[in-house]
Amino acid sequence: MNENVIDRSRDITILEVLDRVLNKGVILTGDIVISVADVDLVYLGVKLMLSSVETMEQLKSGKH
Amino acid sequence: MINELIYVYCIAINPPGLIDELKSRGLKSISIDEFNVLIKNVPENEFSEENLRLHIADLHWLEANVREHINVIGIIMGYTPVIPFKFGTIFNSLEGLEKFVADYSGSLLENFELISGKEEWAVKIYCDRKALSKHIDELSEPAATLEKQIMASSPGKAFLLQRKKADLIENEMDRICKECGQSYFNELTVLSGATHLNNLLPKEVTGRDDTMLLNAAFLVGKDKVTDFKDMTTKLGSREVNSAFSVELTGPWPPFSFISINEKTQ
Repeated sequence: MNENVIDRSRDITILEVLDRVLNKGVILTGDIVISVADVDLVYLGVKLMLSSVETMEQLKSGKH
Repeated sequence: MINELIYVYCIAINPPGLIDELKSRGLKSISIDEFNVLIKNVPENEFSEENLRLHIADLHWLEANVREHINVIGIIMGYTPVIPFKFGTIFNSLEGLEKFVADYSGSLLENFELISGKEEWAVKIYCDRKALSKHIDELSEPAATLEKQIMASSPGKAFLLQRKKADLIENEMDRICKECGQSYFNELTVLSGATHLNNLLPKEVTGRDDTMLLNAAFLVGKDKVTDFKDMTTKLGSREVNSAFSVELTGPWPPFSFISINEKTQ
């Protein structure tokens, strides 16, 4: 098996992953499926950035 | 009895049985016609329409599940070509899934034909505008000409021309970025079978100081991958363009090149 990007996914930011999986691939609508509505990546990205800053701050204050 | 829903990861043709690692994570590979669909039964209390909407707002839940989604598809992709599904596609019943596969079998085969033997690679190009502005007189003739005028002017006139130059620099940097992005894109397009442009992401999202000027996906034949990688390295290290950096990730499941999209039909 060849090594692919997923094997190294710890190095890949969640944003990069979201950029692929949220609004791409097979996209279905209609009665037979439930699917995640369109999510604005920019909005989500800002939220993620803010939450990672918060987490970093918490880690810092916890360690020192 | 708890009502279970069917979460779909991807569709493959002839996978070599389901690997133990995935089996132990509760995944199933079911055969429908000539396809194998990778699924997991999921509970309604987490994945019904209403519950899914609530969970999406929880970043920890979202990250864990999104990583699981791409991780599973990535494992299968290591063995056989896959058609990935958008994250969070859940069928209400097995009959519904079977109907989808039957209705779309022609389209699924076309997609397999397009992606087999190829890999999706993502390229992002960034520009450090501060670094670029330092070299602007070397890269832009109008800027160099104006600089000469400034040097030869009285202090009062030079001051006015400096302000004019500040505007000119912004415009010239936009032009250089556009040209550079386009030329990088063209060089990489030659080595790929298909391309897809993604939206540019602002700095608040990338967390980087430099500006994203290209966010593209390329479908690259496996025999061309080495050339493609070499080209991104070459482009990233062009001396005159030290303000530009190229970021390559992959191979990804071919998310950007699947053309089964009911929203656009």
